[in-house]
Amino acid sequence: MSNRRLLVFNILRGVAAIMLALAVAAVFIFLTSKEPLTAMKYLLLGPLVSFKATGLVFNSTGLFTILAAMIPTIFTGLAVCVMFSANQFNLAGEGVVMLGGFVGALCGIYLKINSPLHPVVCVLVAAAVGGVIMLIPALLKVKLGASEMVTSLMLNYIIMFVVLHFLNYNFADRTKGSTQTYPILDTARIPEIIANGTKLTWGFVIAIIFVVLVALFMYRTKWGYAIRMIGINQSFAKYSGMQVGAMIVLSQVIGGVLSGMGGSIEVLGRFNSFLWKELPGYGWAGITIAILAKNNPIFVPFAAFFIAYLNKGCQQMATYSDVPSEMIDIIQAAIFLFFAAEQFLAKYRQKIVVKNTQMDLANQAKAAANAEGGSH
Amino acid sequence: MFEQFLSTILKAEFLFSVIRITAPILFAALGAVVAEKAGVVNIGLEGIMMISALFGVLFSYWTQSWLIGVLGALVIGVLLSLMMGFFAFKLKTDIILAGIAVNMLGAGGTIFLLYMFTGMRGNTGALVTPNTLIPVVNIPLIKDIPILGEVLSGHSVLTYVAFLFVWLLWAVLYKTSIGLDIRAVGENPDAAGSVGISVERIKYIAIAISGALAGLGGAFMSMYYSQGWNSGMVAGRGFIALAAQAMGRGEPLGTMLSSLLFGLAQALRTKVSGLQGVSSYLVSVIPYVVTVIGLVIYAASTMQKVKKHHTKAQKGA
Repeated sequence: MSNRRLLVFNILRGVAAIMLALAVAAVFIFLTSKEPLTAMKYLLLGPLVSFKATGLVFNSTGLFTILAAMIPTIFTGLAVCVMFSANQFNLAGEGVVMLGGFVGALCGIYLKINSPLHPVVCVLVAAAVGGVIMLIPALLKVKLGASEMVTSLMLNYIIMFVVLHFLNYNFADRTKGSTQTYPILDTARIPEIIANGTKLTWGFVIAIIFVVLVALFMYRTKWGYAIRMIGINQSFAKYSGMQVGAMIVLSQVIGGVLSGMGGSIEVLGRFNSFLWKELPGYGWAGITIAILAKNNPIFVPFAAFFIAYLNKGCQQMATYSDVPSEMIDIIQAAIFLFFAAEQFLAKYRQKIVVKNTQMDLANQAKAAANAEGGSH
Repeated sequence: MFEQFLSTILKAEFLFSVIRITAPILFAALGAVVAEKAGVVNIGLEGIMMISALFGVLFSYWTQSWLIGVLGALVIGVLLSLMMGFFAFKLKTDIILAGIAVNMLGAGGTIFLLYMFTGMRGNTGALVTPNTLIPVVNIPLIKDIPILGEVLSGHSVLTYVAFLFVWLLWAVLYKTSIGLDIRAVGENPDAAGSVGISVERIKYIAIAISGALAGLGGAFMSMYYSQGWNSGMVAGRGFIALAAQAMGRGEPLGTMLSSLLFGLAQALRTKVSGLQGVSSYLVSVIPYVVTVIGLVIYAASTMQKVKKHHTKAQKGA
């Protein structure tokens, strides 16, 4: 019973953090906009509702595009969950998504394989490359003690420029106006679940399957337990005989595999060719999502939905009012800060804990009294 | 091609550009040094640089004074780092996550703020006038020395300030009581607390100095280096600064040397990309690769020392 009360508290606390962040957003909107109410309306309701003369109408296309936007960020969110659980602040997910997308696209263009197998091969190759790349920060951390945070940040830039080099010098389709690869073969495309142009592909289903797989891995296997234990108390994990070094490497390789997959599935599902010219931002979104999900894989889809909703809301706001869509970064940063704040509303948690304990003690006393009464 | 390359880098002009390019990295790296001395990882340097760079331009535009612009950037840097401190020390947000949040503000928030204040998108080209740029200084006597004068004279005021701060920060850390407190808190917060040092206060002071330095780095970028603010301007310099701090063993002088190394890598990048037949993308990788290699060498040498220490201790026993 006491656990349930704490759970309710945690949910309320999350809602409070989101409300505060939206309040911050509202302040900025009222400061900048000449039409603040319109802006707020599109930010909060725009993603799922159309405003018709007759009233509000639920917009199913909106829902599909939000679900579609979740595909890459579910993968990066899961990747960050695994790495942060082991206390590995590896931030290279951003670069690995781009690399995964590029490698996946190249496999989709140059490998000749039959249809159902082709995208599978592309995604697996991208995942493998992602995992191998993450060995760099992971091994440097374990073998030499170099900060994975700094090496992974540098890795993002290195990956971006190397991908752009190969895109421009080796794989560009010169018949096109902008820099992009040749078209991805039809056999390699990941099809939409319902062909309605919203880009909600089978990638979404794969993403949800991976949510379950990663959750099982983290909470039902020896390795998952070791990874979480290292995050909670590395010395304890070491002295209880866990192979800390190997697990640290494993957590980051898994992070790389998931990020690489996410990038390739996104490119093969959404685009006709590879055309990213800068880091796509899904790695950073993954960090926000993992924070919202408290590093628990099961909560990742919900957090991803929330971020995708906000993103769409900001785009709608930018289209229909005078507030720029970069507002999203301010809202995200605010949510991020309050969500990650352990002491945010801690006084109330303290009160709940005290109350729970008092009730437990009272119950125990009652039970003891009853037992005594019975024995006489 | 190689000869052509050599002849470009063996010029006073090249060394001049190394110093110029080093300055903003040095500011941020010194910011990393002071924070790290107090046991605080300031990964938000990148975002602080972006935001103060923007406000430097805005303040100088509003007042038509470069000095107020620079001071404004510094104040914004302090405010942002105090905000990070509030979340990290008071509300117990992980300091790395607080830093990532500041970086988010730096990436997209700046574009929003620019639009909010000026209605412009992406860059501030139109706001820049000679009044609003940090002036350059020709040092008397030195400027007349051949070669040396060309290398050392004619930099912006802030460039000299950056290198002056190396000494100043060393003096603060090692010759003042506040410096002693900062180092004590970083070494062992419990011990520092037990002798009556307010650990939280010292951490706030350290991160505020760190933010002020990053703010100056930001002002340097927008008000001198690229003469105006644009969204891709800082390009990882805040992160490179963290690497420079690690490689400089957390000491001001060592950090200056590693910052110079990264400055050299950046300067090489600009020179080499001017040559024909070289991929500008691969050249762009140089500073980041140098950073990783630098970190690896530093980490490997530290590891070796620790091992030696261990074997000695074992032999002794």
